[in-house]
Amino acid sequence: MSDDILQVENLKVEFSTYGGTVKAVRGVSFSVERSKTLAIVGESGCGKSVSVQSIMGLIPMPPGRITSGSAKINGHEIIGLSAKEANKYRGVEIAMIFQDPMSSLNPTMTIGDQISETLMVHKGFSYKEASKQAVELLEKTHIPEAAKRAKQYPFEFSGGMLQRAMIAQSLACNPTILIADEPTTALDVTIQAQILELMSELQQSEGMSIVLITHDLAVVAKMADRVAVMYAGQVIEMGNVDEIFYQSSHPYTLGLKEAMPSNQKDKGKKLTPIAGSPPDLFSPPSGCAYYARCPYAMAICETQMPDEFLIATDGDKNNNQKDSDHYSRCWLQHPDSPQVDSLYQSGRTNVS
Amino acid sequence: MNSYSPSEEDFKFVTVLDKGDQLTRPSLSYWQDAWLRLKKNTRAIISLYIIIGLALFTLVGPYLWRTDPALQDLNQISQTPSFPKKAVVVGPYKRWAGIVLNDFPAEPEEYLDFIPAPKNLKVVDAATTQQVRLSWDPVVGAGGYNIYRNQREPESINDLGLPLGSTLGGNEVSYEDRLNLESRQYYYSLVSTDGLDESDAYISIEVTPQLTIELATAKSRGLVDESSNEINVEISLEFHPMGTDYLGRDMLARLMQGARVSLFIGIFAPFLYVLFGIFYGGSAGYFGGKLDAFLMRFADFVVALPFLLFIILFKIGFGIGPGESGVLPMLIALVLLGWPATARLVRGQVLQIREEGYIEAAKLLGAKNHYLITRHIIPNAMGVILVTLTFAVPADIFTEALLSFIGMGVAPPTPSWGSMCNEGVKTMLSHPHELIFPALFISITVLAFNLLGDGLTEALDSRMRSRE
Amino acid sequence: MLKYTLKRLLAGIITVWFIATATFIAMHQVPGDPLMNDKAVPPEIRKNLEKKYGLDKSVPEQYVIFLGNMLKGDFGISFTQQNRKVNDIIRDHFPVSATLGIMAIFIAAVGGVLWGALTALYRNRLPDIIIMFLVILGISVPSFVFAALGQLLLVNINSFFGYSILPVAGWGTFSHMIMPSLVLGLGTMALLTRLMRSSMLEIVNEDYIKTAKAKGLSPTRIFFRHQLRNAILPVITILGPQIAAITTGGFVVELVFAIPGLGRYFVQAVQQLDYTVIMGTTVFYGAFLVFMVIVVDILYGFIDPRVRLK
Repeated sequence: MSDDILQVENLKVEFSTYGGTVKAVRGVSFSVERSKTLAIVGESGCGKSVSVQSIMGLIPMPPGRITSGSAKINGHEIIGLSAKEANKYRGVEIAMIFQDPMSSLNPTMTIGDQISETLMVHKGFSYKEASKQAVELLEKTHIPEAAKRAKQYPFEFSGGMLQRAMIAQSLACNPTILIADEPTTALDVTIQAQILELMSELQQSEGMSIVLITHDLAVVAKMADRVAVMYAGQVIEMGNVDEIFYQSSHPYTLGLKEAMPSNQKDKGKKLTPIAGSPPDLFSPPSGCAYYARCPYAMAICETQMPDEFLIATDGDKNNNQKDSDHYSRCWLQHPDSPQVDSLYQSGRTNVS
Repeated sequence: MNSYSPSEEDFKFVTVLDKGDQLTRPSLSYWQDAWLRLKKNTRAIISLYIIIGLALFTLVGPYLWRTDPALQDLNQISQTPSFPKKAVVVGPYKRWAGIVLNDFPAEPEEYLDFIPAPKNLKVVDAATTQQVRLSWDPVVGAGGYNIYRNQREPESINDLGLPLGSTLGGNEVSYEDRLNLESRQYYYSLVSTDGLDESDAYISIEVTPQLTIELATAKSRGLVDESSNEINVEISLEFHPMGTDYLGRDMLARLMQGARVSLFIGIFAPFLYVLFGIFYGGSAGYFGGKLDAFLMRFADFVVALPFLLFIILFKIGFGIGPGESGVLPMLIALVLLGWPATARLVRGQVLQIREEGYIEAAKLLGAKNHYLITRHIIPNAMGVILVTLTFAVPADIFTEALLSFIGMGVAPPTPSWGSMCNEGVKTMLSHPHELIFPALFISITVLAFNLLGDGLTEALDSRMRSRE
Repeated sequence: MLKYTLKRLLAGIITVWFIATATFIAMHQVPGDPLMNDKAVPPEIRKNLEKKYGLDKSVPEQYVIFLGNMLKGDFGISFTQQNRKVNDIIRDHFPVSATLGIMAIFIAAVGGVLWGALTALYRNRLPDIIIMFLVILGISVPSFVFAALGQLLLVNINSFFGYSILPVAGWGTFSHMIMPSLVLGLGTMALLTRLMRSSMLEIVNEDYIKTAKAKGLSPTRIFFRHQLRNAILPVITILGPQIAAITTGGFVVELVFAIPGLGRYFVQAVQQLDYTVIMGTTVFYGAFLVFMVIVVDILYGFIDPRVRLK
C-alpha cells in the first residue's frame, strides 16, 4: 500500500456561462504522498486552481459543476459531501492558503480572531484558549510581536505578513494537507523566498503534505517532490521533479523550460516564449490541446487525444499505483512516432 | 484507453498555421456587445417597449384622441371608466310646484308618541338625472318629512345616507331632488317628523334615474344638429374610456397632456444637467489640481443643500406669472440642483480612466489632449453616463410628481401626473380611479426606466464582462 | 479620528454658511415684496413694518444682519403670524417631524438589512423573487400614493372591525405614528433592501468568504460573522443622504395624515410667502441634514476599523 494522503481520480469540472459550457477541468488525476510536496504547474486558465478549489468545495455551484471524479483524503471521499460533512475535513485535515493574502482575510475582524475562530469551531476551544493558541501560531510563523499583531486588522499588515498569518491560520488544526494556491504570486521576490522557506520549514516540523499551485518553475524546482504539468484542463505530464526537469517528455514542458530564465547554463541565450495562446475551453479540440502551438505537431495530434504514455516506473515494480511513475500525454511517446532530439522519448533517449 | 490505432501517416510532422490566436468567438464592439446583453434581458426589453409606448402615448396620442382636456363634461362628473353612455335629450328644466294637500293639516293636531313611516313613496314623472320627483301619502301626526338619499340599501334608520332636505308641513308630501344626480342606483328614504323630532320608522324606495341631457347643452357640445328640436330621442354622450375627473374633464386626454409635462421635465432636466455635469466633472477630473479642488468643493456645497426645500425656493424665486404653467421654473430649479451628482461621477470616471494603461500608451505614442478625450476618455465613460441618465429620469419624474402633489409644482389648470394625483387624492374614497390612473402612469414610467437602467448597468458593466 | 471629526465639523459649518447664503439670495429673487400680502397698507404703517423687518436697509446690510442673527440662532418673527417667533415655530413643530423621520429611518434600516439579507440567502428562490418584486414596487410607487393607500387601508381596517384600531390622521400618541412612519420609510426600505442584497451578493464572491469556507466554518457562521457584517457597511454609508430623502418625503406624509410637523408648516409658509419662516426653516433643515450626515460618517468610522484607525 502506498502512503497516499490525497488521491484525486478523473476530476471533471464545468462552468455554465452566457455563451455555453466551459470545460475547465477535463479528467485530472493526481495523488500526494505523506509529507511530500506536489506542485501543479501551468499557465493561467489551465484549470489548476479550479481543480483544487473543487476538491475543497469552493467552486460556486452554479455556475460550476463537478461532472465526475473522486477525491479521497486518507481513503475518505470528500467530493459531493454536504457542507456539514465536508467541514469535518475542511480546515481540519485539509487547509488552504490563497494567492492574494490582502483580500483573503476578513477586513473587519482582527487577525487573532480569525485564527481563533477555526480553533473554536473545530476544537471547541474557549475564546481565551483559542486566542492564546492563535498568538502561538503567529509566533510559529515568525511574526514579530505576535500578541500585539493578533489584535490588529488585516489592513495594518503588509502582504508578506498577511501570508504568514494565513499560513498560521491554516495550521491551526494541524492539517495533513496544505493546499497553497499560488501563495507567492502577489508578493515581492524577497518576500516570496521567505514564505517558501517558511513553508518548507513548517513541512519539516509538522510533517504535512503540500499541494503547491504555481506557474513559476523556479518555485517548483525549489519546493516540489512530484510535479503535475497542466494544460487546458488536463495533466499532460507528471513525474518526479528531476524527471520533469531533466527528462521532459512533453513539448509543452519543454516550452515552459525554455521560457524560464536560468543563471547556470545557456548564458546569453534568448528566452523563447511559447507562441500563440491556449485553446478556448468553450469548445476544446478533439485532439491534443497543445496541437496548435506545438513545434512538433503531427497529423494525428489534430484529431486524436493522446493516451497517457508511461515513460518510467520507479521503485516497486509490483505497485500498481502511479505514485512515482513518470508519464506524458503526447503522441511523440508512441513507439511509431518520429524522433525529436530535444525531447526525452521513452526507450529512445539515453538518460542524461 | 484510446482504441484508435495510429497508422504511419499519422506520425508525419505538420505545420500548423493557426497558432490558437484566432478567436473562436466573434469580435464585437463595446456597444454591440452591450446591446446583445441587453437584448437577453427580458425585463429591460419590456421596459424599453413600455418607454417607447409612453413616448407614442404622449406625442401621437393627442392626435388620435382629440377630446379637449380642458372641456368640462358636466353630465359626466367623476365618471368611472365605462363604455359610451346614452342619454335622452330633454327640454329645459321646468319648475315643479310640488304637492301640498289642502285637506290635511300642516301642523299635527295632536302629538303622537309614535308616528309611523309614510306609505306609498313613489316617483312622480320619470326619474332622470335632471330631476327625481317623489311623492307619498300623508301620515297622521306628522308635521314634516325628512328625505335621505343613499347609494346602497339602508340597513337601519342610522344608515339612510345623505340628508337631502325636509318638508315643513304634514301636508307637504313631495320632494324634488336635483343634487348632483348620476345615472346609478339610489335609495331614497323618508322619515316623518312631528315638526322637530324624527320618528323611528322609515320607508325606502330604489330609484335609478335615466341619464338625460338638455337640448341646449347637447347643441352647444355638438351632440345634435343645431337645427334639431327633437326631444326624448336617445343620443350618445362623449366617450370617456378612462372616466372623468371631479370637473368632468376627460381623464385620458388629461393623462396625455399631463404626460407631456411630466415626461418633458423628467427627461429634459436630467439631460441638461447630465450634460453640464459631464462638462463640469470632466474638466475637474481632466485638469485636476487646484481647479479640481475648487470645482469639487463647490459641488459639495450644492449637494448639501436640502433638495426639496431648495427646489421650492428656487421655483418661487423664479416666480410664476399669470397664465404660466410653472414648467420652466421647475426645469431650471431641477437643473440647478441636479448636476453635482453627475459631475462627481464623471470626475471619478475620468480620474480612473486617466490612470489606465491605454491612456499612458496613447500618450507615449504622442496623442494630443483632444484625441485622448474624444477617443479614449469619453467613450469609456459613456456607459456610466448613460446609466446615470437612465436613473436620473425616474428620480426627476418623482420629484415633479411630489412637488405637484404638495401644490408646489405646475400651476393649474396645466395637468401633470403629480397634480392629477393631488386632485385625485381628495376624492380617493368615492372615485378612486381619479388617483389610480395618474399614480399608475407615474409608477409604470418610473418602473420602466429603473428596470432599463438595471439592464444597462448589467450590460455595460465591464467588471461583469471580465468575470465571464 | 478626533482630527477627522473636527475637520468634518469645520467643513459642515462652512456648508451651513453656504446654505444660508443661497437661501438669502433665492429669497431676494422672489418677485414682489414680502409685504404685498397685506393689501392697501397705508404708507406710514408700511414704513413701520419695513423697519420692523429691516427691509428699509440695503441688501448687503440685510445680508450681514441676517448672518448675524443666524449666528445668534435667531430666525426673526413670522410675517403672517406677527406675534410668533420663527424659533418658536421650529421648536414646536420640528420635534414632530424629527420623531416621524427617526421612526421611519429606523424601520427602513432594520427592514432593509433584514430583507436584503434574506433575499441574498434565498437568491433566485421564491422569497427572493417575492421580496424583490415588492422592492421594485416600493421604488416605483411615489410616496404620496403610499400615504393615500395607507390611509385608505386604515379606513377600511377600522370600519371592518367597527372601532378605531389605528387613527387615520392626526398626531399625539404612538398609535398615530405607526402608519405615517411606515409609509415614509417604505421607499427608503426598498432602496436599502436592494443595496443590501447586491452588497451581500458581492461579498459572497470575496476571497475571504472562500477562506472562511476553506476553514470549515458552517454556512450560518459564515453568513453572520463574515458576510452580514461586511455587507452592512455600504448600507450605513448611504444612511446619511437617506435621512435627507426621508425628511423631504415627510412633507407629503405630514400633509396627507394631517400631522403638525415642520414640513407641513414650510409648505404653508411658501404658499403664504412667509419670508422669515421660509428662510429660517430652510437654514435650520440644511444645518440639521449637514449635521446628520457628519454624525453618520463618524458613526461609520466606529464600525469600520479601516476608517477608525486611520
